[in-house]
Amino acid sequence: MRAFRREGGALVAEVDPGEREVLATVVADVAELLGAGRLEERAAGSHDGAADGRSPALRLRLDPLPAPDDPAVHRLLPDASRDDAEVSAEFRRLTEDDLRQQKIDRLAELHAMLTAEDDGAAGGGTGRRRGRHAAGATVRVAADRAPALAATLTDVRLVLGDRLGVTDEEASERLEREVLRARPAADDHQGQARQYLGSVFLALGWWQETLMACLLADLPDGPADGDPDARGGRGPGGGLGSAP
Amino acid sequence: MEIAPEETTRTDGSLADAWVTVVWNDPVNLMSYVTYVFRSYFGYPQAKAEKLMREVHEQGRSAVSTGNREQMEVDVQAMHSFGLWATLQRGDA
Repeated sequence: MRAFRREGGALVAEVDPGEREVLATVVADVAELLGAGRLEERAAGSHDGAADGRSPALRLRLDPLPAPDDPAVHRLLPDASRDDAEVSAEFRRLTEDDLRQQKIDRLAELHAMLTAEDDGAAGGGTGRRRGRHAAGATVRVAADRAPALAATLTDVRLVLGDRLGVTDEEASERLEREVLRARPAADDHQGQARQYLGSVFLALGWWQETLMACLLADLPDGPADGDPDARGGRGPGGGLGSAP
Repeated sequence: MEIAPEETTRTDGSLADAWVTVVWNDPVNLMSYVTYVFRSYFGYPQAKAEKLMREVHEQGRSAVSTGNREQMEVDVQAMHSFGLWATLQRGDA
């Protein structure tokens, strides 16, 4: 896995076939957690979205929707209030279906990118740079889809982080030391799995960091200092700092 | 779509109708990513985006936008889409 770099209207990075397979599986696992079924089957079979079993009528939700049981899914579809159950319930009823579908669609997009036979399929390239790297070795994302990719890498890392018990900065550092040093025995299946998921988690963090470097470099400079609130005068006023 | 008519009366900016979007810290999100989200979504300059990101990281939370309830619901939904955990609350709470 290599760092992302800008090439014309796209961001590109080389990823080994073995790494692509690992990542594609993890991405499909996260999509499945969100209720998408298996992305592999979707790619192989019908592509009309009917396979995911969702009908548009579900969007017109009148009944309250309970928060997800799985803490990782709950983290991807979080509560909109910490102390007001009514606010959370109403927000979830109105937004969760769309948010869930958006995240599934983005995961499917990344999955397609990782499983594409040829880098041209990922879109965004002009074709003139093809051939510099072996076909299939390059992940290429159009610049305007790169923020969605960053969000999806975040979602995948949030799920892995939950499974790995990354609940605070300390746990995060502990995991890093563990992955770099631990050599679980061959019959220690739990240790092996943790080592495996842990290394995917760290690799994705590094990879996303290189993507963010590109995306931050591409952002236009913010508005002039005299007008810090770019959204019609709205913005966090100084007086809000004392809110609990 | 009207979500809570009694609280989204046209008094944009008045104290009675002030809500805030709060972003909470988590150990997974990258600092560069959080800064990017604050810059690209809210349009904040780098210095302000970084200040808010540091508040999230060091104080555990930061109020990142203010407005009426409907506007804050839009912002919270956007933050959730980005994978940040955000909540809305009354600004005078």
